Amino acid sequence: MAKDGEKGGGWGEFIWNPRTREFMGRTATSWGLILLFYLVFYIFLAGMFALTMYVMLQTLDDHKPTWQDRLSTPGLMIRPKPETLEIIYNIHRTESWDMHTTALDRFLADYNNSVQMEKSDECVPDQYFKQDDSGDVKNNPKRSCQFNRTILESCSGLEDRYYGFQDGKPCIIIKLNRVIGMLPGRDGQAPFITCGAKPPLADRQLRLPPKKEDTEKVGEMVYFPPNGTFNLMYYPYYGKKAQVNYSQPLVAVKFLNITTNEDINIECKINANNIPPGSERDKFAGRVSFKLRINTHTD
Amino acid sequence: MFEMGGGVEVKGGKKTKKEKKKERLEGVKKEMDIDDHEIPIEDLEQRYNTNVTTGMTSTFARQVLERDGPNELKPPKGTPEYVKFARQLAGGLQCLMWVAAAICFIAFGIELARGNFTCFDNLYLAITLIAVVVVTGCFGYYQEFKSTNIIASFKNLVPQQALVIRDGRKDTISAKELVVGDLVEVKGGDRIPADIRIITAQSCKVDNSSLTGESEPQTRSPECTHENPMETKNIAFFSTTVLEGVATGVIINTGDRTIIGRIATLASGVGNEKTPIAIEIEHFVDIIAGLAIFFGFTFFVVALFIGYSFLEAMIYFMAIVVAYVPEGLLATVTVCLSLTAKRLARKNCVVKNLEAVETLGSTSVICSDKTGTLTQNRMTVAHLWFDNHVHSADTTEDQSGQSFDQSSETWRSLARVAGLCNRAIFRPDQEGIPIPRRTVVGDASETALLKFTELTIGNIEQYRNRFKKVAELPFNSTNKFALSIHELEDPLDLRYLLVMKGAPERILERCSTILIKGQELPLDEQWTEAFQTAYMDLGGLGERVLGFCNIYLNEKEFPRGFSFDPDELNFTTSNLCFCGLVSMIDPPRATVPDAVMKCRTAGIRVVMVTGDHPITAKAIAANVGIISEGSETVEDIAIRKRIPVERVNPREARACVINGGQLKDMSSDELDDALRNHPEMVFARTSPQQKLIIVESCQRLGSIVAVTGDGVNDSPALKKADIGIAMGIAGSDAAKNAADMILLDDNFASIVTGVEQGRLIFDNLKKSIAYTLTKNIPELTPYLIYITCSIPLPLGCITILFIELATDIYPSVSLAYEKAESDIMNLKPRNPRRDRLVNESLAVYSYFQIGAIQSFAGFTDYFTAMAQEGWFPLLCIGLRGNWEDTHLQDMQDSYGQEWSFSQRLYQQYTCYTVFFVSIEICQISDVLIRKTRRLSVFTQGFFRNKVLMSAIVFQILLGNLLCYCPGMPNIFNFMPIRGQWWAVPIPYGILIFVYDEIRKLGVRRAPGSWWDQELYY
Repeated sequence: MAKDGEKGGGWGEFIWNPRTREFMGRTATSWGLILLFYLVFYIFLAGMFALTMYVMLQTLDDHKPTWQDRLSTPGLMIRPKPETLEIIYNIHRTESWDMHTTALDRFLADYNNSVQMEKSDECVPDQYFKQDDSGDVKNNPKRSCQFNRTILESCSGLEDRYYGFQDGKPCIIIKLNRVIGMLPGRDGQAPFITCGAKPPLADRQLRLPPKKEDTEKVGEMVYFPPNGTFNLMYYPYYGKKAQVNYSQPLVAVKFLNITTNEDINIECKINANNIPPGSERDKFAGRVSFKLRINTHTD
Repeated sequence: MFEMGGGVEVKGGKKTKKEKKKERLEGVKKEMDIDDHEIPIEDLEQRYNTNVTTGMTSTFARQVLERDGPNELKPPKGTPEYVKFARQLAGGLQCLMWVAAAICFIAFGIELARGNFTCFDNLYLAITLIAVVVVTGCFGYYQEFKSTNIIASFKNLVPQQALVIRDGRKDTISAKELVVGDLVEVKGGDRIPADIRIITAQSCKVDNSSLTGESEPQTRSPECTHENPMETKNIAFFSTTVLEGVATGVIINTGDRTIIGRIATLASGVGNEKTPIAIEIEHFVDIIAGLAIFFGFTFFVVALFIGYSFLEAMIYFMAIVVAYVPEGLLATVTVCLSLTAKRLARKNCVVKNLEAVETLGSTSVICSDKTGTLTQNRMTVAHLWFDNHVHSADTTEDQSGQSFDQSSETWRSLARVAGLCNRAIFRPDQEGIPIPRRTVVGDASETALLKFTELTIGNIEQYRNRFKKVAELPFNSTNKFALSIHELEDPLDLRYLLVMKGAPERILERCSTILIKGQELPLDEQWTEAFQTAYMDLGGLGERVLGFCNIYLNEKEFPRGFSFDPDELNFTTSNLCFCGLVSMIDPPRATVPDAVMKCRTAGIRVVMVTGDHPITAKAIAANVGIISEGSETVEDIAIRKRIPVERVNPREARACVINGGQLKDMSSDELDDALRNHPEMVFARTSPQQKLIIVESCQRLGSIVAVTGDGVNDSPALKKADIGIAMGIAGSDAAKNAADMILLDDNFASIVTGVEQGRLIFDNLKKSIAYTLTKNIPELTPYLIYITCSIPLPLGCITILFIELATDIYPSVSLAYEKAESDIMNLKPRNPRRDRLVNESLAVYSYFQIGAIQSFAGFTDYFTAMAQEGWFPLLCIGLRGNWEDTHLQDMQDSYGQEWSFSQRLYQQYTCYTVFFVSIEICQISDVLIRKTRRLSVFTQGFFRNKVLMSAIVFQILLGNLLCYCPGMPNIFNFMPIRGQWWAVPIPYGILIFVYDEIRKLGVRRAPGSWWDQELYY
């Protein structure tokens, strides 16, 4: 290359030229000056960055995000929550399901009546529990409503320590993602969860209802609280800072006679008159699907 | 003289390649040792089975044709199309991108092997890289193809015909069908159809200039005068033209076996030099590759240090290296060059190879032909001497110049002689064409006189009809005069008028009186001396001088009906009355002096290389400014100081005229010395082969050489030159094939325009590259921060490709339309070793200053978008693990809200988009600052580059389309973002603009200072 031609000594000389006392083509002073220049330059830039970031942070509200563009349809999630959302177990093999029950135990610990009683208040059901600020005076901290574990009745794990897993009638708990200020349901109609067989992909794209035989395979379900509603009194949510003790409402669904020894795909949806259906691509926007397979062979 | 062998010996081969070439040249020389010209005609008849009176039999001719193939020069073996295309894919930048694509494939392979089936970015990237290379390759190929077509269209479409005698019958056939042994007849004006041995000839003269460069006509006769076939008079060569007379001859060589054919094939032996821009791009690729590997390796180490696995670190390393590849640059460079090529084509320069556009800009020496390039290639009356005064005629092409005083009686007589004693006539039906451009039947000087008289005294045909011609004697070389006798206009005047023109000294001999202001005065000593002075002066101007005289014949001696016999000269041809002198020259084109001056101010040396006479060459050189006013040659100094030439110090002489004979005896060192010591050089009487030597000498001195040429023999020099320029009109196909550029109007001034455009494109390419490189940093830093700080990825691969290949292409190309900052034609040619296209300060300034500001802009916007949606900056750091967990559907943000994976992904796309928008906003500022490197943008004219303005509008519109067009999120990962986020990077955009104005101010105010050295690119 031409570079070699002009530098004469090639790379070795380029790195340290003893004649001109140049390291990588610059003398010590030259390096000093240029590094000083860049130091000043970057300090200035960093300063400007810090300043703009500071100004930006000043515009943020502590309790409510500036925008909630992505959260118009809140996500839905189940408990227990295996990685792949496949709950496969054998009723005769305790070790195949006891991690689910312990997970539920852990998850529901916060909902024990005693804890709820201590941290939260009893609210008027079936209406939003609004705690507006009066002008600049913040009405903080906000109070939260009790969601007692007993509301889940037979899925509370209190009467049945194994949440029905051991007799093939498992409970799955469904929770709706928290979104600040969300008021699900207009006109006092509380949102509720429905579960059912998940139609195969092709049918879903055509918006066909699940096939009858699939529905039969899922069998009967019972929801706790009744009808699978999220009571309106748990809304709106005021954020983790203002509403430290907020308890997310839950819905439990118990499969009473689900077909065993077979993969059953189940989809649960939120039904609310003011939550838009999520995008087709987001599999967890306002719905959640999971696979349930209960094996009964004894071997 | 055929000097090719000598020429090659002079330069004493340097490399093995040249050694080989030398051998081949020697080979050609040996092959020329034919004896067809020496053997008796009978042997020749036997050898070729022919007959010198009846020719061959057509049946045998057909057999020979089958054996030897048609008599035509095989088009030089063009590079096969696929090689041409492959060449388009193998430039410096292209190679960089191939390597990058390969790395992408490897990275993709590794990801796949690790079971990551979702990450197709690397695959897309690889495919895009390859697509870019292929598409720009097609584009470049198409350009080349198009210009090749333009060249092809110039090919002589009319097939040459030849008069052949076969079976004793004359027949006109296509020259292609001629075979060895054919008997052909040629006459004045014909092109010799093959190498022929002359059998009979009548005053036959040929112009061998296309072969040897010698412009003097050469006699051809049946005698063998020399054992060397090149020197003997009884061989006429293929492609030379017969000037006058007729001849018959037997064909001894056809097609590629002719002398000219052998030389034409030689051109392919001269290797093509790398263009300066290709060297620059390689240098640039070196810088890029060096930086890429440096960055990649640094972060490879950092990644290992942070605790990534070796494989992951390796993938990061590859990703960083690839991110450094400026995908859009190749397209930008190609488009910029082809824009200039287009602009040049409008100015009559067709460029065969895009890169040649820039080469022209780097040119420091132009070796130019004289005839046709510097001059108009037509004899024109330049001066007249009558009434003891030299008058200048108008020699401009469009007759826009000053004319002389035509009121004198002497002028009228002189014009009458010039008009009447002239056999040239205009071809019919040319009324619409301006007189200087009409075609004429007649020799060069008569043509000049015809046009001159037509211009000065009006319709010469009618004029001649008024003076009825009764006898004439055309010009011949023994008499050196022509005369004609006419009746007078006035029917009552029964005298005859004898008009005569010829070599001035011969004319003067025959005169006893001279016409001064209409008075016939005796031609005494004083007038003879005046005549001598004028004759010397005009001859010294390199002009061809003719003398004119007339006489009214005595009515009694030569009454009406007298039978004049021009051969016997039975009438008065002495004691005539001298009218004046007219001198002619092939005048320089009007635009040339200006163009040469421009070259001079642009630091480009113009060297004239011509086959013409040294005096004429010197006169024209002085006329157009190649030898400037006041410059003297060694000989001039010797005359001025009245000392012998040897005693003159050659260093005193700025100018130097070397003729071919001297050049032959010079060693290459002497030639180098001459070129070094004399800034103004003229090479006269050179053969086209010697051009090669001159070019090589210039290149040895470190110049980038442009060469013009038209003949077949110029092709080696054209190829050897850094940029070969062939003449579109006069050029042969071989020359056009060897050249890099074609001048459609054969005009030297077009070269200067080309130089200007070439320099401009070099400047503007620098700006385009600086603009394109800048955004590499804001594209790279998100990834670096992503690796090191584990924030959610701020900028995706597809988004980067959109910046590189969609939004930023138009603005970077628009910089090619930028006007020059200063008068680029007042600067010296760039020093190819020092003034690089991409130098360190350009890269450093773009990357570490402007690029850094852009990165900060991007991150500001990124963190704003994240924070306003609920993810505070401090939370972002280290967030990546959970953020990218596809199973985590209820991840908490800073407010305690829960996000599903898809919601986070769309948030990430939002970040891509705001980062994209930030880069766009900063790039708008960037393109504005890149308009100038030194001047303030306001001095340059903020809105002057309309293309650039429309490019900015286009950029914004395209950005908006990408952001807000429905469906974009899922196809190209663009999200409709909040309007406020467009505004966040604006302060940084302003900072870029203000900072660069400060930089330029410093550079202007303190030239040579530390600031200038470090920050001027």
